Amino acid sequence: MANVKEYARDKEGSNISKIVVDLDLCIGAASCIAVSEATYELNNENKAVVTDANAVDDETLIMSAESCPTKAILLFDKEGNQVFPK
Amino acid sequence: MNHYKYLIIGGGVAGTTAAETLRRGDKESSIAIVSDEPRMYSRIMLSKANFFLGKIPFDNVWLKEEKWYTENKIDFIGNTLATKLNAQDKTIELKDGKVLQYEKLLLATGGEAREWPLPGADKKGICYVRDLSQVKILMENVKTAKQAIAVGSGFVSFEMCEMMKMAGIEDVTLIMREPYYWYPLLDKESSQMIEDALTKGGVKIIREDEVKEILGDSRISGVVLNDGKKIDCQTAVIGIGLACYLDWVKEAGIEINKGILANEYLETNLSDIYTAGDSAEFNDLILGEKVQLGNWINAQTQGRTVAKNMLGTHEAFKMVSFYTCIGFGLNIAMSGDVRVKTECRVVKRGSPEINSFARIIVDCNDEIVGATFINRSQDLMLINKLIETNFKVSGHESELSDPNFDLKQLLSK
Repeated sequence: MANVKEYARDKEGSNISKIVVDLDLCIGAASCIAVSEATYELNNENKAVVTDANAVDDETLIMSAESCPTKAILLFDKEGNQVFPK
Repeated sequence: MNHYKYLIIGGGVAGTTAAETLRRGDKESSIAIVSDEPRMYSRIMLSKANFFLGKIPFDNVWLKEEKWYTENKIDFIGNTLATKLNAQDKTIELKDGKVLQYEKLLLATGGEAREWPLPGADKKGICYVRDLSQVKILMENVKTAKQAIAVGSGFVSFEMCEMMKMAGIEDVTLIMREPYYWYPLLDKESSQMIEDALTKGGVKIIREDEVKEILGDSRISGVVLNDGKKIDCQTAVIGIGLACYLDWVKEAGIEINKGILANEYLETNLSDIYTAGDSAEFNDLILGEKVQLGNWINAQTQGRTVAKNMLGTHEAFKMVSFYTCIGFGLNIAMSGDVRVKTECRVVKRGSPEINSFARIIVDCNDEIVGATFINRSQDLMLINKLIETNFKVSGHESELSDPNFDLKQLLSK
């Protein structure tokens, strides 16, 4: 079982309903935080954690996931389809 | 002759992020990327265990699929080099003689691993960790090597020593010129934590010495150091910095120093020509000087900013630069200006004894200018925020030095 952490998102008007961080892949590069510090922070184990899944719009959230050099952030829509990485 | 509204030289993280941002802001205009590599991949992943030791599929290294370029109408001209720039005609000539015309040009040419300046440095087994093709060669070499050396005291050597140990190489020796690891960017105490982790991980450390001779016929079999000591090795990883080869850019009339000189808008001295990423030597508004930085997040963020400027906004690049690396159970980060100048003071947070230690560097204006972190990544972005907001340190020393104090409480002050 992959070591993942899931965060539900219920932002109005958003197509993304879940953010998943794969902790085995996360290396603490903090590129996601550079895009959206309102969404993520690093914990004391050097892993990205979501502090507010609803903080930003879909475009910024997708940019934050795209920025990850290890593809550790996965985004899902309401139907459970993976929006990123495609 | 192909004509592009936006032409990007360099398909790494700066160039690709710029293309992505350009496409978000301009759905129709033509965009092309010229790259000497097959397509965009994660340079960061190359030195991480998941990739290097094959724990994840090799193809995970690619950050952009081929279809991404077509879907976004980005012409990707791969496996070639730009060799000539004519700023007057607004053209770029490629290695194969093909000429491309641009309206706006981005030079995101990155850098190369600095070559080991010794006779015999072209022998087999001598490896670099800058690009995918180099790392593929290294991955093959570690399969058979019994002994290896790493040269340099930066993040390449640190991460690769761990990879080589994890790959099963019995003897790994680290050779550095410096008196201690990461000198002068780290202090002796922090460096000791790193050296202890290396030693505990089975790496031998040789300080204040250099290789003077490479042994072996076509393949490296060992090295001789300045002090005469001989070390047997079948693989050597060289991590001694980055070099930019910019003669063709200079010939076009663009001002260069070590990198391509740019202002805070990432504009070069010639109109409609921009630069971003490792090749940019830009005016850093946080540090107040021209700097050239070789790290992923800087390149990525500059890629975004430069694209916005190419689209017509006038946005200065302003970011507290930082980078992180991991190995031997440590995570190490540095942000801002970590040089401790004579007028600076250092506030220590945590300690080597609790295996969690940060140093916060405060200048004569009572403001934080930089910090180093070992196993304290939770502080990284908060300290960056304090740097960015010119937080005054006086009166807060005890809070800053208390490793359990939540730095978020200072942000609202």
